[in-house]
Amino acid sequence: MSNSVLSVISRFLEEYTTTTPNKLKVVDAYLLYIMLTGALQFLYCLLVGTFPFNSFLSGFISCVGSFILAVCLRIQINPQNKGDFLSISPERAFADFLFAHTVLHLVVMNFIG
Amino acid sequence: MLGVSGHFCRLTGWCVAGLLSAGLLGLFLLSLALVGAQALTPSHHLSLSDVARLHSFLSQSFTDLESAYYSIVGLTKLGANVADQRIPVSNETRDILLAAVSEDSTVAQIHRAVGALSSLGLPLASQEVVAALTARINKEDNVMAITLALHTAARLSAQADFVGILEEIEDLTARLDDLGGVYLQFEEGLEATALFVTAAYALSDHVDMEPPLKEDQVIQLVNSIFSKKSWDSLAEAFSVASAAAAFSSNRFHVPVIVSAQGPATVSHSQPTLQLLVTDVLSQPLASASVLVESAYAVASKSVILSQAPFTLNDGVFELNFMSSQPASGYYQFTVAVTGDSRLIANHVELKVKVSTEVAITNMDLSVVDKDQSIGTKTTRVDYPSKAKSSFTADSHQNFAMSFQLVDVNTGVELTPHQTFVRLHNQKTGQEVVFVAEPDSKNLYKFELDTAERKSEFDSISGTYSLYLIVGDATLENPILWNVADVVLKFLDEEAPATVQPKTLYVPKPEIQHLFRKPEKKPPTVVSNTFTALVLSPFLLLLILWFKLGANISNFSFSPSSILFHIGHAAMLGLMYVYWTHLNMFQTLKYLAIIGSLTFLAGNRMLAQKAVKRIAAEQSSRLAKYRSLR
Repeated sequence: MSNSVLSVISRFLEEYTTTTPNKLKVVDAYLLYIMLTGALQFLYCLLVGTFPFNSFLSGFISCVGSFILAVCLRIQINPQNKGDFLSISPERAFADFLFAHTVLHLVVMNFIG
Repeated sequence: MLGVSGHFCRLTGWCVAGLLSAGLLGLFLLSLALVGAQALTPSHHLSLSDVARLHSFLSQSFTDLESAYYSIVGLTKLGANVADQRIPVSNETRDILLAAVSEDSTVAQIHRAVGALSSLGLPLASQEVVAALTARINKEDNVMAITLALHTAARLSAQADFVGILEEIEDLTARLDDLGGVYLQFEEGLEATALFVTAAYALSDHVDMEPPLKEDQVIQLVNSIFSKKSWDSLAEAFSVASAAAAFSSNRFHVPVIVSAQGPATVSHSQPTLQLLVTDVLSQPLASASVLVESAYAVASKSVILSQAPFTLNDGVFELNFMSSQPASGYYQFTVAVTGDSRLIANHVELKVKVSTEVAITNMDLSVVDKDQSIGTKTTRVDYPSKAKSSFTADSHQNFAMSFQLVDVNTGVELTPHQTFVRLHNQKTGQEVVFVAEPDSKNLYKFELDTAERKSEFDSISGTYSLYLIVGDATLENPILWNVADVVLKFLDEEAPATVQPKTLYVPKPEIQHLFRKPEKKPPTVVSNTFTALVLSPFLLLLILWFKLGANISNFSFSPSSILFHIGHAAMLGLMYVYWTHLNMFQTLKYLAIIGSLTFLAGNRMLAQKAVKRIAAEQSSRLAKYRSLR
């Protein structure tokens, strides 16, 4: 059983490294970073406590929001999805990404306290 | 010349009516209606001291003719003898006086002229005067003028036709204001009311016709006129003296004042009830006969006396009430004064108190065991001595006391209002008071359950002096008797260590305000560790990007891209400043400025990038197409 899981994972990784374009790998690295940051914040909250709760929420939601926006960007700039996003060029996707981040950070900063 | 200035028209500003609001009036009337058809009796009159005061007020030395008139005539009305004044008269004076009697002079002038003429004994035409007066009354329709007209008419000969003038009395009576059913007066004031009364009775006596005043109205007038006991001016004092003389000596209505001499109390030592029966000037009515129509006890409503006469003794009417052997208490008397057909308000209600002395008999003290196993030992104590030995009671015993209260004279058992048992701790000054209650046979009993009552004593054991207090309104000898000493033993562990006086008015301890404690923070080490931990994925990101070969070699130094990057950096800086210094509104303001710049620059930059990308794609497609061919 574990054998098959391991083989699936190694095959997946191999395919990933060969077929994915570099641009997407950069975004994937960014996604990994965001996820780790959010997970570590959550771990702190579990271990030490929720004081101050508003700061924790703002940090965690910032991670979650950034992750979502980055995923949206990745989907939109993936050349394989070009057919779904005919009116949205990669530049346009990046501009939307930046604008959404501005709004997110405004809210996060307000809530950090 | 007897010239009197028209100061009858001067009104004293007397506002009593202002105090009685409509509501009070209504309530008063309602209470009077509920009380029933009790006849109105005068509530005010001139007592002997009031008459003396009026006399001395009128005896002021006079500086002008007006004061002389008031003083002399007023004193004469009160019965004082005043020296005669003689004035010579000339023919011219007489003609002037006669000429004054006409329609063209005011009522006051006519009054003065007629007064002068009749006082000087000069003849005058009564019918002419009446005609002039009637004409003037129609023109001067005020109270003072009509009163003067009545006065004038009283000086004319009795044969004149007075019908018109007599009707004025009734008209003026209708103008009087009824205040609460007790007072009746003109709104012009006391002087006007008193002068009207004088004039009405003077004229009525002169023509021998009863004035159209009802008995209740006369009493109300008496109340109004004699309620004021100090007078502002000679004119006012004069009017009151005139009214008093009118009420005490006219031919038709003489109000009677009945009052008890001293307090209306009878007892064995003072068995006679003494009444003063006088007129409004406090002069005794010698010809009257006074009779008790009925007397009944207020408590039991049983009639004690009926149709019992008073005997006149040295100006005072007496009745020996104790001979009827009444029990102590309050009695309601209805007294009737007869003997003169002119008397009014001659049925009076009086409340008489019969008081007595009390004696305490059969005072028995005992200490009873709660389980009744040991027989009680009662000690008899006689008033006013004290029990020789003290009584001891602890928590297993009750202290009991029983006694009877009897009337000294009749031996009847009494139940006074106040029968208290007071226990006074000699050492601490504490005192506790209980009430002794009578049972159905009027035997007073008091029982002290030591265990039950320990809270009232604060569980303080010790010697208490026992006092019996007896009192009542109808008792002449209230009693405070130290009966015995009682030693009370409470369970010691319940007693407070020291006797705390009740500290009610001492400043209370200060309340310290507790501010909200800040929440417990985790130690700094933990926070620092986790901060480092959370920042570590960034390092990982940089490493990964470096490994992937991400670089900025494609960075075009066009102005729009530079501007865009500066603007973007500024926006991130603004976020930090927002966190530290600004509020949302300021941030939005700055963000709008920087954001629009960044947007424009970024738009330009991305457009350029898009153009480049499309060109690169086209060239690569062209290359692929060429290689395929």
